[in-house]
Amino acid sequence: MPDCLTKYFSKMDYTEDSVIRLPNGLPGFEHESEFVLIDQPQNRPLVFVQSLRTPDLCFVALPVLSVDSAYGLSVSSEDLEALGLDSTRQPVIGTDVACLAILSFGEDTLMTANLLAPVVINLKTCVAVQAIQPGSNYSHRHPLLSEEAEPVCS
Amino acid sequence: MLVVRRREGESVLIGDDIEVVVLEASANRVKLGITAPREILVFRKELELTREQNRMAASADGLALSRLAGALDTLRPQRRTGVKEN
Repeated sequence: MPDCLTKYFSKMDYTEDSVIRLPNGLPGFEHESEFVLIDQPQNRPLVFVQSLRTPDLCFVALPVLSVDSAYGLSVSSEDLEALGLDSTRQPVIGTDVACLAILSFGEDTLMTANLLAPVVINLKTCVAVQAIQPGSNYSHRHPLLSEEAEPVCS
Repeated sequence: MLVVRRREGESVLIGDDIEVVVLEASANRVKLGITAPREILVFRKELELTREQNRMAASADGLALSRLAGALDTLRPQRRTGVKEN
């Protein structure tokens, strides 16, 4: 089993089917094209998106449906093509794709999820893109948990 | 901010060598055509917002993470789980 160095879990084994490939990388990290999804029962629903190339690069994410159970995908036809999916219909979360919102931690302890641009993963091929959805009204800084502990999660 | 009203087919010029033309306009969206020199980067603002957000996300540390884990603990019973189950 291959192993890799990680930001939060030191060295760990991973399986090939937990690797996602982003042909274009992520905005701001265009050269990072391979990540391991670390989805451990004790940390659920958190998913760690660990770069295979850079041990110190690991995003923390949540399934979009954990953040907003009514979340609606509107992936552009270019992104659908990049994912190798039918570009005439929207993919179904859980059946066609997995969909993760990357979390950010502000200086003011506010935690936010990027619902504007989720990481969409083709479940069959594990090819992924960070799909910016310009037509949606979702925020790139959707408040997740604030100091007042008023959870937006459901 | 300068505000200019334009119809389909009309354009505005920015400096000497940038032109923004309104190709199509409907009730809730417009299609723009942009002509600019190669060295001027043109991209949707959402891309820049996502780039900034990704950089901020990448700078998280163990402390931020433990705070998040603690907060999630209180929510866990009613949460959905697992990347492949969503």
